Formats: sequence, structure tokens, C-alpha cells
Amino acid sequence: MAELDPVTFEVLKNSFITSVDQMGEQILRTCYSFVIYNHDFSSALHDADGECAAQGNADIAVHVGTLHFTCKEVMRHFAGDMHEGDVYAINDPYAGGTHFSDVRLIRPIFSEGKIIAFAQSNGHWSDVGGSVPGSFDVSAKEMFKEGLRITPVRLFDKGRFCKDVAHLIASNTRDPASIIGDIQAQAQATAVCEREILRLVGKYGRATVETGLSAVQDYVERSARSRIAALPDGEWETVDFIDRDPAGGEGMIPIRIKLTIKGDKAIYDFTGSHPVIGSIYNSAFGTTFSAVAAGMKTFFPDLPLNSGFYRCFEIIVPEGSIVDAQWPVAVTGFLMPFEKIMNSIYEMWSKLMPERALACAFNLEYLLTGGRDARTPDKPIFMFYDWLPGGWGGRNGRDGANVTTACFGTGMMAQPVEGQERANPILTTECEILKDSPGPGKWRGGAGVVKTSLMLAAEKTVISYICDRERAVVWGIEGGLPSMPHGLTLTRAGANEEERLGSIFSDVPIAEGDIFSRPTAGGGGFGDPLERDPASVLEDVKDDYVSVARAAKDYGVVIETIDAELCDYAVDEAATAALRDVIRARRVTDARIDPALVAERYRAGEIDALDAIRQHAVILDWGTGELLPESTRQFREVFERRSVAGWAG
Amino acid sequence: MQNLRVAVDVGGTFTDICIMDEASGLIRIEKTSSTRDPIDGILSGVEKAGIDLSKVALFSHGTTVATNALITRRLPRAAVVSTKGFRDVIEIRRANKEDLWDVYKDVVPPYVPRRDRLTVPERVDAAGRIVEPLDEAAARDVARILRKRGVAAIAVCFMNAYLNGANERRMREILKEEMPDVPVSISSQVLPEIFEHERFSTTVANAVVSPVVVDYTTRLGDRLAEGGYERDLLLLHTGGGVMTPASVKDFAARLAGSGIAAGAIASRYIAGLCGFPNSIGLDMGGTSTDVSLAYEGQSRVTKDWYIEFGYPIRFASIEVLTIGAGGGSLAWTDAAGSLRNGPQSAGAYPGPACYGNGNTQPTNTDANITLGRLGTSLAGGKVTLDPELALAAVEEGVAKPFGLGLHEAADAIVKVANANMSDAVRLISISRGYDPRDFALVAFGGAGALHGVDVARELSIPVVIVPPNPGVTSALGCLLVDMQHDFSQSCMVGADEADPAEIEALFGELEREALARLSHEGVAEGDIVLQRSIDMMYRGQWRSLAVNAPRPIGAIADLVDSFHAEHQREYNFRRDDAPVSFFRLNLKAIGVVPKAEFAVHAPTGAIPEPASRRRVWFDGEGLDTPVYNRDDLPCGFVFEGPAIVEQLDSTTVVPPGASAEVDRFLNIIIRVKG
Repeated sequence: MAELDPVTFEVLKNSFITSVDQMGEQILRTCYSFVIYNHDFSSALHDADGECAAQGNADIAVHVGTLHFTCKEVMRHFAGDMHEGDVYAINDPYAGGTHFSDVRLIRPIFSEGKIIAFAQSNGHWSDVGGSVPGSFDVSAKEMFKEGLRITPVRLFDKGRFCKDVAHLIASNTRDPASIIGDIQAQAQATAVCEREILRLVGKYGRATVETGLSAVQDYVERSARSRIAALPDGEWETVDFIDRDPAGGEGMIPIRIKLTIKGDKAIYDFTGSHPVIGSIYNSAFGTTFSAVAAGMKTFFPDLPLNSGFYRCFEIIVPEGSIVDAQWPVAVTGFLMPFEKIMNSIYEMWSKLMPERALACAFNLEYLLTGGRDARTPDKPIFMFYDWLPGGWGGRNGRDGANVTTACFGTGMMAQPVEGQERANPILTTECEILKDSPGPGKWRGGAGVVKTSLMLAAEKTVISYICDRERAVVWGIEGGLPSMPHGLTLTRAGANEEERLGSIFSDVPIAEGDIFSRPTAGGGGFGDPLERDPASVLEDVKDDYVSVARAAKDYGVVIETIDAELCDYAVDEAATAALRDVIRARRVTDARIDPALVAERYRAGEIDALDAIRQHAVILDWGTGELLPESTRQFREVFERRSVAGWAG
Repeated sequence: MQNLRVAVDVGGTFTDICIMDEASGLIRIEKTSSTRDPIDGILSGVEKAGIDLSKVALFSHGTTVATNALITRRLPRAAVVSTKGFRDVIEIRRANKEDLWDVYKDVVPPYVPRRDRLTVPERVDAAGRIVEPLDEAAARDVARILRKRGVAAIAVCFMNAYLNGANERRMREILKEEMPDVPVSISSQVLPEIFEHERFSTTVANAVVSPVVVDYTTRLGDRLAEGGYERDLLLLHTGGGVMTPASVKDFAARLAGSGIAAGAIASRYIAGLCGFPNSIGLDMGGTSTDVSLAYEGQSRVTKDWYIEFGYPIRFASIEVLTIGAGGGSLAWTDAAGSLRNGPQSAGAYPGPACYGNGNTQPTNTDANITLGRLGTSLAGGKVTLDPELALAAVEEGVAKPFGLGLHEAADAIVKVANANMSDAVRLISISRGYDPRDFALVAFGGAGALHGVDVARELSIPVVIVPPNPGVTSALGCLLVDMQHDFSQSCMVGADEADPAEIEALFGELEREALARLSHEGVAEGDIVLQRSIDMMYRGQWRSLAVNAPRPIGAIADLVDSFHAEHQREYNFRRDDAPVSFFRLNLKAIGVVPKAEFAVHAPTGAIPEPASRRRVWFDGEGLDTPVYNRDDLPCGFVFEGPAIVEQLDSTTVVPPGASAEVDRFLNIIIRVKG
């Protein structure tokens, strides 16, 4: 292939990205799925081999590194039978896709009768069938409860819309009209990319564009490899956990990763990770690959995304493990292992690139409620899906970001309450930053939120919850402390006591007057909280991110209230110095105290969950106060390494 | 006799004053340095230009005061009062990030910190019913605390207030009783639209800049009045119209982005004069390029904009796409050996290498000098550039690393810059369904005319227009505006169940409000024009598309037909069988300001001599090229490329193959061909 001159190369590189971003823009403006609208989508341009040549700037992280798998799968199915004007669909997680909700439309781009590229538009449809509205049934162990698996099918045949196939797909969902709308929107988006590529062919010629499609991958590969080569060779290891296996006993589910830097390559070895579990929190190979790519990309923020980047690392996964689920194991909740991998990579790369260090971020939570809206006589079906932002980890020299969308997709937007209240029989009574949620540290984590909702007139309504880190609590690094546990609480109409439903449940009936409340964690802390500048703690108190009580407990900073109405507070310097000495002297002992005693004190109301976690590294059933010995043992093991080892004196 | 029109555009470096004589249509330009308090610069410019303020019929002004106050956060202490449980809407935002991958690049904090966000018990539901009345005791307590804190502005932001603003209005009354002099913005008045963050954010931005802007306009108005100016000061807002200080008080944030709109207006107007209702404005300055688009004589308008990411200001605004490509943009080689251009810029200081202030990295300006396109004496000899430094920078920075010849390297720099600008134009044109072949490109700003023809050729735009004073076109834009206010109202109903009478009634309310505001500003009823549009969507879609609506409203079916057609044009598909929904009603109310006519020149038949000749490089070939003084070019003069036209504030490149003509307004019209 001919060499490209620097101008043509730069122009093509930018034009490829622009062509993909134009697809994204078109999708945003025409989609029907509110999940897509809130930015759960991605777009890609592939070369004739199906390798990714450009992915969108605003694409959701979780799809990164999976699009070339689905493109190649489509190519395998339709080899020798692809024509101009064809568009194919696929959503198969067992062929490199993510989960059934993410449906990809792929269009081959022809020039002079030959395929030169593919355009792919991937969007999260609001429903793909299965046993619960929104297609997230946490009780599923196999895919048959989850939704419709779309192996490669032809949706447009030489430009003709294959209504029969489209209707078969749409008819297996809860909202067929919108699904047809999204098919149209996504197919048109790929046409936008096709138009741009053909324009480039017209201007530069087919051969030049083809060369460009591979040259941009080489470029990214070269950039990434040169940066990896500049790092010292070595090995880094860590482990993170999923809270539990609903089908198994007490104890968290480990995902182990060993990172090896060798020359200009990174190798991720998942040996020692747990086998697949009896819920939807499993990851197939494609999403494990994606989690590694997205986690690592965080440390190469300026590089364009394409297959060149994916060539710089290798992955070793034990067969049948939680990071290598195979058909028909349920994988719709793959985001849980995904996020553990991403945060583990943050931790390991924080050692490699301390200037970009980052403690653990809160984890995605996803609420699904559906039933009949009884506010009007015709009682239409409603589907209320919601997700909340939370806190990100403390950083080297800077606090974590407050209330930010989950790390699996930082482009994902939180939904407006006013829109939700129009569409659903729900009144939100509170959606605010949660005081004391940030994990304490020299640089604290960002703050999470709490959202409380009152059920209005509704019938046949159920609620499901997809969440985690109720036990594998968001952790700090370099001496920083954890944040707080996730979990939903429900107060039945007329009841005095709230009931804790936790972080994973499905199909719980709810009715008018019931109130449910969900917190999201803050980010983990970075560095020893006793080294935090008391002036920063004071500012946090003024802004109500941190309470006066926890300023003392977590930071050893004693704050006097002079006039709360004027936000007038002051640090008692002498008392602070004294309190910090006391905490320093006893905190290691506190963190190794008999967990049974901690559980007892919790049940007696002497300490709260934040005390149990931050001071004693003990994991309880937060509802009953029952000690979870195996989870505590696992939690303490990592707490020693991430927090205790970082405390000076 | 009041026969002068004066427009002032205050930029970071220069304050441009544009003076037009209504009788002759002749335009005069005065450029003066901007000052710390912009008002001093304006007044000194007025004095320098010898303007007798008592003879001024219209004084209009594009200001960056609001934008700068928001960016620098030099804002008075302000507070937000919201519904209990919703203290943090403006901090939670939509929780997304601008840079998805860089975890060390944060969204900036909200304009009002958490400590100054208070709440009161009250609630309106999604049907507009008050389910919890305002707790008056709590409201009074909040008012007392805010007075104690000495806040200078307050935003009242209640949930669902777009449906029912009664609780917000009552809250304002209570605040006013406690603090009569503190401005209070309420969301149901500022922007009665659904979606709390967007409405609250707009209301908060409005509240925090209100004291700054009111102080500024009052002081400027007073100074002008002292000088003898008898009319209202007119302020350009982002919607592309002007308003008087009376409206600024309530809609201060409309002045954010005021300066950017001016260029778009001037571009549209000039293209229109030349007979091109479809035009693309390319305003290239030292560090950035602003791209705008007008279709059938109307500027594209968006409500999707912000001064800083995460804090939308959802007032209708002329759509302008800004990219980091300017004369000072740096050409550089990235770690993987790829040639890049911008967005980093050498800025005004040290500036391009040829300025001799120590920067040795090549910029677009250095490349243009190397190619002979840009002369070495600018601003009529006030600035002298060092070509040796430019050549050395291009040689070291690009030619050597890539193994290119000097001129090849300079050409490569310019081509990458042109490609970046072309991508920006593509985003605002082709990707919105507009075909550039139907457009004229208006090239202005200090560097627009250097690159205009290349960009036009890249995009198949047939014609480039270079206005008489490309460097001060934005100031001209301030002269060419009408009074304008934009109103909107949520209206979420399916087209199949929409009642035309109800929609007519809603528009009627907006129109009454519009008439009241314009008449308050002294506009005669006969000068008022009302333009309606409706945002519509296919039921189930999440973004709407504006469709022009008649007055009175007429048949719903006609609106639906227009929507299908607009959807086809914008997105290249339509769904005739899918149900259509209404989302929002918009009203643009214009108080027409009589426009002075530009002076019209007659062809003289004169053929000017080039002031000089020099070697200029085009596509690797050094051609002997005539260099004209712009002032020497008479109406009707036709010339062929290659040619260079130099003037005080800009340089125009007419490459080989293109032909140019000076029209009766003294614009250079270039047929780009090739």
C-alpha cells in the first residue's frame, strides 16, 4: 500500500472521526429509546476486514472494543452475500456483543462494487423482551429469561426494508413501535457515515481511503506502544469483588487481575477469578475485553479509539470464569464485573502513572419499575427505569468528582425528574447530594446522591434493582478510606419502619403510597485522611458535603459552629491536633478488632455503617446487623493493603 | 439632526466602533484598544472618532461583559431557593462530562455553591397542581437568612414550575418584602420549559449575571446620556436581536455570547445584499474560528448552548460553532509522528514566530508568510513581521521532521488548518442536511480571507464574499439588528389530539407578553413582527425539530406535513405512518428598526495597478503575483487569480483559477471554480 503524505493522513484521520461523530449526532436527534437518548450508544467505522478504524468521541465506554467483534461476526455470516444497500443487525453477547439491549446495525460500504468499509451504529434499546420490563431480570441464570438474542440478520436487502424480520424483532419487545423507529434511526445513521466515506473516496480515490483506514490504526498502535515501552517492565496484581452469588453462600466473588508490562505490551491475566455465578452478573469475553480497553484508555485519554489500541494488550481468561461466560449463561448484568475490572485497572495503573492516579468510583445502580399507570382511566403500561450518578475516586492532588455518571459510560446522562414524573406515576420527594458519602482521604472521593420516590396511583407494579457494592464497598487507595454501602430501602404505605431490600432483587410488588429510597456511594478516598488540610474539611462542612461529626471521626478535624446561618464555622486547631494523635494511635487496632464485637455494637445502635466500614473494615448485613464473616475477611484483606498500609505512624 | 448610527463591539484586544451616516450610507471604522473597564474604551473610541453623541440616532452594542463574568466567576454572591429535596439540581446536572476519558479534567463547579442553595417545602406535581403549598414561615426564614448573608441576587427554582408558577411568584414576593433591592429571577418567568436542570441552570445564570450586567448597562447608558445621546442604549443578545436596558434587567443572561452572534448577523446580512440567502460565515481570528449558517435568509438558531459545559443557558441563540483554528494556531508533531494543527495557539503574545517574541513553533501565520500569501507589513505598516523567523520555524518545526521542502511544509500546515475548518463547516452544513453547493461563504475576521477560497473549494462552495472591512465585520453586525425577544411555552400533546383553538390561545398569551415587552421598549405596534414556530417530533422520539407555524394556526394536518418535510431534509428520512407530537411553542417577536442603506457605488471602469508584485506559492509552485491595495479597488473591477489584496485589517488570497469582482457595495466576490 502506498504511503500517505502527512496532510492526507491527518485529513483522513479527522474525517473518519467526524463521519462517526455525525452518526452519533444523527442518532441523538432521531432515536426513540430514552436510554440511547441519554447517551447509551456508540458508532464505529470499520475497515474491510471489520477492524475498527474510528469510534466516536462521545461513545459510551462500555461499548469500546466490542464493535469490531460484532462487525466480524456479521461478515462471517454473510460472507459472499453482502450487497450495496444491505444493513444487518446483531446483539449477540456470545459473539463479542455486550448484552441483548445493545443492538448493533451494520452497513457495508461499497465502492466500485467492492466493500471498502463498514459503518456500525449501536444503541441500547429500551426493551428487548424477556421476563421483566427493561429486560434486566436479576434472577435469570440463563439467557432464555433475558430477552431476544439476535444473531446476524438482514434488515435491509439492497435498500429494501425487510419488514418481516424487523417486525419479528419488534414483536418480541414491549414497545414495538419505538423499536421500528430506532431501527430506522440507526440504519439512517449508518447511511450518514457511508455518504461521508464515499465523499472521501470521490476526493482521494478508493486506494487512498483504504490505506487511510489501516494507517489510522497503525498510528494509534504506534502511539500507545511507545508510551507503554517508556514504562518500566513489571507485574502488578489486584482483586476486586462482586457482592455475592445469589445462588451460592455468603462470601464475595473475586475477580483477580495480574497486569504485566513487557516491552511495549500490556498483558492482563484473570487467572484465579471466580467461575460464573447464578445471576446476570457475568461477563462474556467481549465485555471483559471492553472493560480492559476502557480502563486502560483512561490513562491514554488523548488517543483516538480504534483497533490499533486493542493490539497493544493481551488478555488471558480462565474458561468458564465470571469474565468468560459462555452461552447460555446470563450476562445482562455484565456491567458489574465490567466495573470491577475497570476500577482494578485504575488501581494498577495508578501505580504506573501516579500523576493520573484514581481511587475507586461508585458503581452503577439501575432501577426498573413497571406496571399500569392508574392516574388515568385507560391505565397505560408504564416503564420507569432510572440510574443515578455518584462519586468518583479521590485523585493525586485533587478531590474526586462529585455526582458524576458511572465509569462504564461517562457520556451517560442522568434523567430529569420532571420528565419522569410526566411519564410515570411517581413523585420524587428528594434527589440531593448525600452528606458524608465521600470516601475520606487526603483527597476525598466525590459525593454521591440519594433519591427518594413516592409511588402514586399504580396497579400491577413491580420493582427490580440492579446494583452492587453493598458489601464490596467502594474503596480508597494510598491510605484513603472506603465510602458507604449501596442498597435500596422501601417504606410501605402507612408503615413506620423501612425495610431494606438491598442491592439486587427482582419483581417486588409495590403499590400506591410506597416510598423507596436509593443512595449512591461517593468515591473512595486517596491518601491518609489525617493528612487532609483542615481548611479543606472546613469548606466541606460549610457546603454540607461532610458533617461536623464525621469531620471529627474520619478526619480528626474538630470544628466549632459559630453561626450556621452564616456558614460560619472554625477549626479548633489544638483540639484537632490532639484528636488526630488519638486516632493515629488506635486506628490500626480498630481496623483489626474482632468483627463480632463490631456487629454487636452496630446492632446496639452504638455505631453506624460508616463506622463499621471506615474504622473497622467490617461487612454486615446492613438490615439485620448480622456479621458476614467471609465477606469481612475478604474486605479486610484488601483494606489492609489499600488503606492501612498507606497510614504513616 | 440625528443621522448617525453607531455600533460598538468590544473584544479582548480591540474595541471596534462602526459609524454609519444614514444619509450617505457610508461607513467609517474606528479601532481602539480595549480597556479594563470596557466603558472607558468605548467612550475614548467615540471621542477619537469625533462622534457627536447628540447626533446619534441609534447606539447599539455587543458586549462580552456577561460572558466574561460567567467565565471568570467574578460574580456577586448569589443564592438559589428551590423545592425541599432539590437543593442540588444545578450540581447534579445531567451528571455527564465533556471529556469522557480524561479523569483529571473536571466539569467546572456550578455558579452558586452548595452553601448558598437553600430549600423550602412546596410542591407542584406533573399536572401543574399544587400538592404542597409554599410553607410561608419557612420561606420567610430563608429570606431572613439570605438577607443576613447579604446576597446580591437570587434565583427561585421550583419543581414543575413551568406548569404553575404560583409558588415561585409567592416566594419572590416574600423575598422582595425582605430585600426589595435584590434582583430575583424565577424559573417560571425566565424559561417556562420542562426539565429542571436546564430551566434552573438558565435561571441561575440569569440571576448571577443580573447585577453585573445591570450595573454595566446603567453606567454605560449614563455616560452616553452625559455625552448627549438621547435614545435607549441597545444591547445585542445571543438571539441575534437587540434589547433595551429595561429588558436586560429581567433577562440578563441573554447577553452571554452577545459578541459571537454579531459576526453571524453581519455575515447573513452581507450575503443577503449580494443576493445569497444561503450563506456560511467563516470568522477566523487569531486563536479561533467561528462558523455560522444562514438558510433562506434566517440564521440557524439553537437552544442547546452554554458558556461552560454542564450549565446550559436555554435561551434561543444563533448557532455558532467555534473551533481552535486561527492565525496563531500552532502546527506540531504528535508523539506518533502525525502533523497536527491547533487547537493550541501562540495567542496574541508571544504570537506567531514571525512576531519575534520568542515563540519558535510555526503557526498558520508563519506558514502563510512562507508561502508569500501574507505580507510582512500589517496594519498599514504599524506591525512588521520577520519572514526569516517564520521560515526558520516552518523549516525546523515541519519541513525537517517530515523530510519536506520548505514550501511543501508550509503548504502542509495550511492544508491541515483548512481541513479542520472544513470539518467544522461540514458539521454545521452537510450533517444538518444542507448542501454547501447552494451556499456562499462569507470570509471575515483577520484571517478568514486568507483561507476562504481554499475552504470553499474543499466543500464545493462556489462563491466567497469578502466584505469591505473583514476585520471589523462583527461591529457591523451590531448595526444591522432589530429589537428581538424570544418566548416559548411547553406544549406536550399528540398532533392527533391537538386542538388548534387551544394552541392558538397559548400563542395568543405569548404574543400578549411579547407586545407588552416591545411596547415597554418603545416599539410602535406597526413595527412589530411576530414569527411562530412549533417544536415537533415523532411520538416516542426524544429530540424535537422546529417547524414554522402560521398565524392564525390553521389546520394541524398542515403542520404535520411541514414536520415530515423538515425531518426528511434534516435527517434524510421520514415516517409518514408514525404519529407526531407537539413539544413546545416558540414565538420570535421583532421590533423592526429601520435599516440605513449601505452606500452603493457605480462601476468606474478604472483598472488599478498592483501596489507591488511578489512570489506566492500555490500547490508547490511559486507564481509571480500582483498585490493590490484594497482601497485602490473600485466597484466593477474584475481580476483573476493569482492575486493578493491587502488592507489594514486583513489580506485576501485569490488563488489561480479563481476570479474576483468588486461589487457595488465594494465586497470582493470570488468565484472559486477549481
